[in-house]
Amino acid sequence: MILEALSIGLIVSACLALFLDEAVYSVAALAGTFIFTALIYVLNGAVFVAIFQFAVGVGTLAILFLSGEMLSDKPTKKTSPKSTVALIGTGVVLSLPAIFLSVSGSAGSGSNVSFGDALWNLRGVDVILQGLVILTLALGIAIVLYEKKNGGK
Amino acid sequence: MDFVILSLAMLAIGIYGLLTKRQLLKVFISIELIAIGATLNFVTLASAMSKGLGEAFLILAFSTDTAVSAVILALLVIVSKKYGTSDISEIVKMEDKGESEAEP
Repeated sequence: MILEALSIGLIVSACLALFLDEAVYSVAALAGTFIFTALIYVLNGAVFVAIFQFAVGVGTLAILFLSGEMLSDKPTKKTSPKSTVALIGTGVVLSLPAIFLSVSGSAGSGSNVSFGDALWNLRGVDVILQGLVILTLALGIAIVLYEKKNGGK
Repeated sequence: MDFVILSLAMLAIGIYGLLTKRQLLKVFISIELIAIGATLNFVTLASAMSKGLGEAFLILAFSTDTAVSAVILALLVIVSKKYGTSDISEIVKMEDKGESEAEP
């Protein structure tokens, strides 16, 4: 029952994030999407992933709240309550197939590697390389922005 | 309750937004929704199969998603500052106009 309610909330907040006209409300609905996703992760037993999702979501949303007003033009018309209700109804209808249909087969038995083992012994090199890539990207963006600020000299 | 269909619904909403929305911020939100659908599928299958390995892969997916989001946001800010609008069709029109003026 809780999972069904969370899935309805997830789809409804995704619809609202996409179709609300005002940028701030859109970002607030996206925050709801992140929260519902993290709660679904917790109920699936992936607590560490849920915490990571919260951390990533908070970072993304903070930047989005800051840049949301700058990026978006002023909407010509505000979203009416009627269309908001229609959006929520559409979200509920879209989430019904996930509740009542099923495509998954029987779950296979995996190797049952523990999380720490998988992260540090099996994927350790990947994690370090990923960190290097992200650091290089961050440095690249900083250099591009610095060059832009100095007029491309 | 099937999370594969739920993630498919998220993917469909994201692709619809990507194809129909003209504002850069909405395009970014669509990409985020697609990423959420993909990670949701990953978590579900990781719970069903070998849990630790799936979650470890997911951490890498999250890192990549964050890096991509940072790059996209930086580009969006630069583009909206340069053109003064965040409407994709207007940006394309301005680009076309600039090219036609540059040609002799």
